[in-house]
Amino acid sequence: MTDAVIVAKDLRKHYGKQAVALDGVSFTVGRGRIVGLMGPNGAGKTTALKAILGLTPFEGHLDVLGRDPRRERDSLMQDVCFIADVAVLPKWLRVSDAIDYVAGVHPRFDRARADAVLARTEIRRRSKVGELSKGMITQLHLALIMAIDAKLLVLDEPTLGLDLLYRRAFYETLLNDYFDHERTILVTTHQVEEIENLLTDVLLINHGRIVLDSAIDDLPSRFVQLIANGESREAARRLGPIYEREVFGRTAFVFEGREAAELAALGEIRTPSVADLFVAKMAGSAS
Amino acid sequence: MNTKSFFTLVERETWEHRGLVWVPVITAALIVLAAIISSNVSGSIRLDVELDGESSAFFAQLATDEVAQARLFSIWMGSIGLPVLVITIIVLFFYLLDALYAERKDRSILFWKSMPVSDSATVLSKLFTSMVAIPLWVWAVSLVMGLLTFLIIALKVSGTPIAPLGKFHLGAWLVLQVTLLQNLLLASLWYAPIAGWLLLVSVWAKRAPFLWAVLPPALVMLFEEIIFNTEHVAYLIGYRLTHYFESASMGFNVETGAGSQVIFDSIKNTYEGMSAASLLAEPHLYSGLAVAAIFVLLAIRLRRWRDDA
Repeated sequence: MTDAVIVAKDLRKHYGKQAVALDGVSFTVGRGRIVGLMGPNGAGKTTALKAILGLTPFEGHLDVLGRDPRRERDSLMQDVCFIADVAVLPKWLRVSDAIDYVAGVHPRFDRARADAVLARTEIRRRSKVGELSKGMITQLHLALIMAIDAKLLVLDEPTLGLDLLYRRAFYETLLNDYFDHERTILVTTHQVEEIENLLTDVLLINHGRIVLDSAIDDLPSRFVQLIANGESREAARRLGPIYEREVFGRTAFVFEGREAAELAALGEIRTPSVADLFVAKMAGSAS
Repeated sequence: MNTKSFFTLVERETWEHRGLVWVPVITAALIVLAAIISSNVSGSIRLDVELDGESSAFFAQLATDEVAQARLFSIWMGSIGLPVLVITIIVLFFYLLDALYAERKDRSILFWKSMPVSDSATVLSKLFTSMVAIPLWVWAVSLVMGLLTFLIIALKVSGTPIAPLGKFHLGAWLVLQVTLLQNLLLASLWYAPIAGWLLLVSVWAKRAPFLWAVLPPALVMLFEEIIFNTEHVAYLIGYRLTHYFESASMGFNVETGAGSQVIFDSIKNTYEGMSAASLLAEPHLYSGLAVAAIFVLLAIRLRRWRDDA
């Protein structure tokens, strides 16, 4: 990837003496990618995002759009947007004032665009954030962010606490009206199944380390899921699966670096979903 | 950060802290209301004034002395805004304590930090709001309030023995407004170290910013008293709190029961002290500004890595 938006090399960060949040994390995010950064609670996702956004100090090399977020945060924020959580818009902020505010401070904000996105919702201009539902607050935040012509959008659990309809609408709006293959999106979420279709790349993190870094398109050639039963299970185990689990009396194995052809004789062959890999990798990297 | 962006940041402060805008207006309105309903109204709008011997002599002398009239006009027009200023100072105290604390408490700091607004611009916009924007607003509100109150008083005293109070002195009024504006900005400079301290506590305190603002200085004073049996810190803080009002005081201090001639001379001679410009010659003003700069720089640095975590 020549057009790297984020280059991270050996990021390290610990809180106190015991809790290691980042333990030598390295990855690269290319332009125009939609990257899912996933991992269990406390894996280091949020710390990694905070490092990228210049919100927390850390050790190691990090380059975001050609800048070091520790030293050049002020100029970096011209090109980077983020939604950290649904609750961050203050209750006292009026919808019309929120638009005026972003229009006032952000040189790349397009008011007409924000108005257009808001017009499709039921949000009234005179309302205060404290009077809106959680779903509406997210819609408002998304309308503000989508009207900013940013190069990198970082979303940390953007749909936490929303119902399915809002969650789906959130990602549909993002994909249809915002993403244009020039912009880059980095998203963390627990709802792996809901976003795996829109990702181009996946980064799995556990205990402060990257345990999987792959383009979605490369997953079929790297991972194979085998559903086997009876005798062939023992044969499958000898081939070194990275994970196995029981499914309705049969066993699902996940293999890394094995050809589908050599496994086909043992049972049913599939490409594992991101969710399957998530579970496999987390079990594999548990300590 | 250009001027328009900075203006937006200041405007933002008035959205969050609406009291900054409305408290001066409401206080001013109450003063106007008091002027309307106060005093002994006898059927008509006019005051029913009966003067004793001393007071008659005073107003007789005033009626013939233009300079004394203008002085008296300036004194009461200059003092009438004092409640607005005092109450706004209290509002500003709590505003500054809240300014960098509330954003962490309601977690909106991550939204503000998602915008291309530096920590310096954020902290300075709050300092500017308290030291320039709101003082200007207090000045403008007091100006309008003063004129309204004057109109009411003028109507009430016309045709009474105290009618000289109802005469408008344009020249004196213009000088007074310039003096008041200058005094407000001088007050900002004088109180800058306190504003800086409150901002620093506001960005630093994890909870109870009020206690963090008040207790440490109080404890330092207490320990100094107990250990060294001295009161330098207490003196320094007390001096900082009160000296502005001493400087801007008109020195109009007449004992009760003083004769009309004493009061009259007092009015004529003491008004000059109303300008606080003498503060500009005080080294304490500049040492205070240096301390304020240190507090503000620390507040900016601390906000850099402050978030909800």
